[in-house]
Amino acid sequence: MSRKVLLWIGIAVLCIYIGIALAAPLIAPQGPIAITGKPLQPPDSQHPFGTNEVGQDILAQLVFGARITLLYGFCSALLAVTISTSIGIVLGYYGGIVDEIACRVIDVVMPIPMFVLLIVLTTFFSPGIVQVSLLMGLMGSIYGIRIMRAQVLSVARTSFVEGARAIGASDVRIMSRHILPNVMPLVMVKFVSSSQQLLLMGVGLSFIGIWDTTTVDWGTMIQNAYSQGGLALGLWWWILPPGLAVIGVSLALAMIGYSFEDKFNPRVEVNRI
Amino acid sequence: MISGSYLLRRICYSAASFFVCMTITFFLLHLMPGDYITNYLLSLSNQIPQAAVDQFRHQFGLDLPLTEQYVLYIVNILHGQWGYSYAYGQPVFSMIVEKLGWSLILLVPATILGILIGTIIGAWSGWRSGGKQDLAIFNVMIVIRAIPEFWWAIMAVMVFAFYLRWFPLGGYTSISILSTGLSIPDLMYHAILPISLMTFFIATGNYYVMRNSMIAVIGEDYITTARAKGLDERDILWRHALKNALLPMVTITTFQCAAIIMGNVFVETIFSWPGIGFLTTEALTNRDLPLLEGIFLLDSLMTIGAMLLADILSSMIDPRIRMGDDE
Repeated sequence: MSRKVLLWIGIAVLCIYIGIALAAPLIAPQGPIAITGKPLQPPDSQHPFGTNEVGQDILAQLVFGARITLLYGFCSALLAVTISTSIGIVLGYYGGIVDEIACRVIDVVMPIPMFVLLIVLTTFFSPGIVQVSLLMGLMGSIYGIRIMRAQVLSVARTSFVEGARAIGASDVRIMSRHILPNVMPLVMVKFVSSSQQLLLMGVGLSFIGIWDTTTVDWGTMIQNAYSQGGLALGLWWWILPPGLAVIGVSLALAMIGYSFEDKFNPRVEVNRI
Repeated sequence: MISGSYLLRRICYSAASFFVCMTITFFLLHLMPGDYITNYLLSLSNQIPQAAVDQFRHQFGLDLPLTEQYVLYIVNILHGQWGYSYAYGQPVFSMIVEKLGWSLILLVPATILGILIGTIIGAWSGWRSGGKQDLAIFNVMIVIRAIPEFWWAIMAVMVFAFYLRWFPLGGYTSISILSTGLSIPDLMYHAILPISLMTFFIATGNYYVMRNSMIAVIGEDYITTARAKGLDERDILWRHALKNALLPMVTITTFQCAAIIMGNVFVETIFSWPGIGFLTTEALTNRDLPLLEGIFLLDSLMTIGAMLLADILSSMIDPRIRMGDDE
């Protein structure tokens, strides 16, 4: 299968997910926490995916969970990429003492294990979607700053930047009009791959239980079904839908990221032929 | 060989990293609502006379200025006094150290096997990069990595333990140890499935690194030279390519040994294996901040140490590497 086909499949799948997330109130008007049936009902016409242990509709949880899961995945990735790109451009363009200090700070911060720190911080701050996205975004940005900075360093030494400076373009203009477009492909690749990583990280965090019970995302649904014995009772419709939903979106993002990487990185393409 | 000043600088950075971690945990503990009296002695806090409360605060140094408390805290951390767990009332440090042993039972075999398998498949795949088999393996690996670890673990439990009944559903021992005592075969029987899963995760992670490293090496001039002078392909692989491609693996391996301490949170939680990962989930459920902070401190200590070791090792093996000097 060619990379282009993969890219379009990935984008199509992602659009379906976003569409479902946006249309959640239309698909399930009762909301994710309303009790609408008897507990542990198997799938029927009223509850296409059955109900969970307290009688909440699993389809409703699934579509509303899509909102939360996609929201923290994309928001944190957007934040991470924005921070790492802007700081990376400033550091790479100006260099000098600020760059030196920032690099040393990154050296110091890098070895700190982010996943555990995230658990500690989300426990400390009452975990809401905003806090978790912010924290994940901030932590995800640290790794990106170096990569962006290295990329900017090579762009900042090119002759067109020199030329722009010679005709009197301001620093801000050079950074936003000349350097940013040139690092944009890398930014896109980073955005897609961070969305996948941070989305999986968020689902993992909710699987081990950072949220309160009113926040329903796919990780919580899986955790709930698993810990309440959905597996042992053989209630596949309880545990499979959220799991497959996570896998679907993660694969779609992986496909997009993979084809982006090839498209923007000619060297990789040569190696893979 | 590694230079003294470089080594010293690396050690300073590592110390600074741990210092940052300790500072974070100190301030979190202090910003926490309530103090030890309201948190531990909730039922008594209204009845205790003020004098006793003052006495308590004095005894525990809570009436000192923040800077002095901070210094005391750091000194205590360095002495291995990491505070007490809310939920268990036990010293955090000894709790974590006890669980660490259990984690290592899974981690040591899984890391060794995972690195071996990942390196071999990655090297082969990189050597054949662009070929049909390489692409097939590469695509499979992408799919494997796209699926969350806990989902793999749940599926493994469902298939191998629930339906096929080859392995127990979880735990570290059978109920029979009450009469017979802990036995190694029984422990192994419970450990095989989690170990295999962790091996699987570590191997897929290593695969990418090894494959990329291999691809970078076979693009080098000395490989072309070796080919040009008519060396056997197998000779090139074993004597030229593999040796050089293995270099980045030193860094990754060392780093991984520390990082997977946390990486096994999911496996341990799903298999109810009484290690650090399981402890983390429990502490999170109980919102046991001192215990979580202890786990965080231990994990950062190990990660920072591993990174330092990796830097030193790789600059000893490869004289071209001088990490820390950017560009």
